[in-house]
Amino acid sequence: MAGYKGSSINPKKFEKSQIKLIVAVSPLAVLMLLPIIFIFCHAFKPMDELFAFPPRFFVTRPTLDNFRGLLKASQTSGIPMSRYVFNSMVVTLSDVILSIVLSTSAGFALSKLKFKGKEALMEINNMALMFVPVAVMIPRYLVINALGMTNNYLAHILPLLAMPVSLFLVKQFIDQIPDALIDAAYMDGATDLVVYRKIILPMVKPAIATSAILAFQQVWANVESSNLYMNEDGLRTLAFYMNTLANANNTVAGQGIAAAATLIMFVPNLVMFIFCQKSIMNTMAHSGIK
Amino acid sequence: MKEIKNKEKQQTAAKKKRLSLKQREGMMGYLFVLPWIIGVLIFVLRPLAQSFNFALSRVKMTPKGREITFIGIQNFTQILQEDETFPTELAAYLVKTVMAVPIIVVFALIIALLLNAKIKGKGVFRLIFFLPVIIASGPVMDQLVSQGAGSIPAMNTSMIQSMISFMPGFIVDAIMGLFENIVMYLWYSGVQILIFLAAVQKIDTSLYEAAKMDGGSTWECFWKITLPTIKPMTLLNVVYTIVYLSNNEQNTIIETIKNAMFGTTGSKGYGYASAMAWLYALIVTLLVIIFAAALALKKDVYAKKAKKFRKEQKKQERLIKKIEKRGEQYEKQKAKRVAKAAKAAR
Repeated sequence: MAGYKGSSINPKKFEKSQIKLIVAVSPLAVLMLLPIIFIFCHAFKPMDELFAFPPRFFVTRPTLDNFRGLLKASQTSGIPMSRYVFNSMVVTLSDVILSIVLSTSAGFALSKLKFKGKEALMEINNMALMFVPVAVMIPRYLVINALGMTNNYLAHILPLLAMPVSLFLVKQFIDQIPDALIDAAYMDGATDLVVYRKIILPMVKPAIATSAILAFQQVWANVESSNLYMNEDGLRTLAFYMNTLANANNTVAGQGIAAAATLIMFVPNLVMFIFCQKSIMNTMAHSGIK
Repeated sequence: MKEIKNKEKQQTAAKKKRLSLKQREGMMGYLFVLPWIIGVLIFVLRPLAQSFNFALSRVKMTPKGREITFIGIQNFTQILQEDETFPTELAAYLVKTVMAVPIIVVFALIIALLLNAKIKGKGVFRLIFFLPVIIASGPVMDQLVSQGAGSIPAMNTSMIQSMISFMPGFIVDAIMGLFENIVMYLWYSGVQILIFLAAVQKIDTSLYEAAKMDGGSTWECFWKITLPTIKPMTLLNVVYTIVYLSNNEQNTIIETIKNAMFGTTGSKGYGYASAMAWLYALIVTLLVIIFAAALALKKDVYAKKAKKFRKEQKKQERLIKKIEKRGEQYEKQKAKRVAKAAKAAR
């Protein structure tokens, strides 16, 4: 690549020819930012602004009342909030990491290795992709119950591990890696494991980062597993807790608490995103594919 | 004698080893997919199979447990013939998705191309365009849509409505819904933008240089280089978009199925709801197949040309054979005639 500039993607100079591009992109960028601004504004709205009609987008008199209400509500329950935070973190971390390992290794095998029944497996995955998750809720509960995993962290983690979407995404990216590159590695005596670690993983980084974010979102906001598989309060996750807090006081005060809870639930998403964005945004800059 | 035998043995052993090597490669493949297979078998396939079983039967929840009676496809026929809302909802979903998918994908492509151009502050823009992905799901979306943030306020929707009012009702509804939620669809396109960006960046820049040398404009470059190269990623994006739109929380059909399943008033039994879900999955699959077929329709130009050429060649060969045969026949007839003439002369 002639214009290779390491990991930086911005051109160094500002030129007049860039103005038209910026003009084209900026309004759309503002539209894209709307939901985030909304979340922040909503959490700091005082009661009368939350229920204002017509609803207002921006906050005019920001307060911390909603957060105070949230704190108060959480102090009344028997289990400390840190317990829920810990649960959520354990579940989410293990799920994200394991699902990435699963989908990349399966994607590698389905895309580049030769064995019988490959296409059939991919078809099964694609079929699962189309299916509404609500429909398998009860059968899934039956499976969890039969395995004796109720009131166990595993019930949080395992059902969401096999993510058809991320396998699909990763496999499509691995398909794009030229066979010649992999063959060259085999020529030099690399085993499958080395190829997987040294070639496949670095090259599909954007897909990995994307599916990590998708997995994170799915697990972090998952209320279903706490709701269905857990009987003990101490094993439930933060998402469930926030939900109950907002629902239990689902009167006028509940709305403010819900808004604050939404912001709190959203912040880890943002952190995760900032954490991943470098590898996402650098996409294929130094992949060596020509 | 012994030596030869030994050699043979060695050879057969080597053959065996070679076979096992191939098998070992296959084994490695299975090893890599095995964890995934186990996960899918237990948590996806088994529940799916069970839900299909439910869809074909009447499920009653009694205090003693589940009571399942097999009733064949009765659930499906009941949905298609008697249900007042579900078929119309399905049709509305179909129209909406067919219109929304191209919008999202094309928008994502445009943004990806813009973000790939040389602008100052490109990194920030990329960040912003991906951000909606991390909130587009969940309760935030509901609130935003209910506040009307999903539409562009300056757009005169009533005029559009009067313009398209000659079409059947559910299509009009779908189009109006599209305009009302157009901003929402833009929010859905974060992942697609990302995938397109990755694909566009992978295109070899020397291709563009060569095209420029031959006098190709940027417009031509886009149609002849960019679009064909990122075709597989376009397919990926289309499939992703369809799946995302169908399994989205904003989708009313999912709500309907859920209500039929667990709701207190709208509950029609678990078997019926499962049948609904299967019908829905079938339609989504059909949609994906249609889009994929539409995208894959245009085959490689050179393959087409080669095929045409081969056909032509075969045709000509046949013609030559025909001519040769005719010639032979003519020769034979001529010989016969000559012989006859000779006989007569004699």
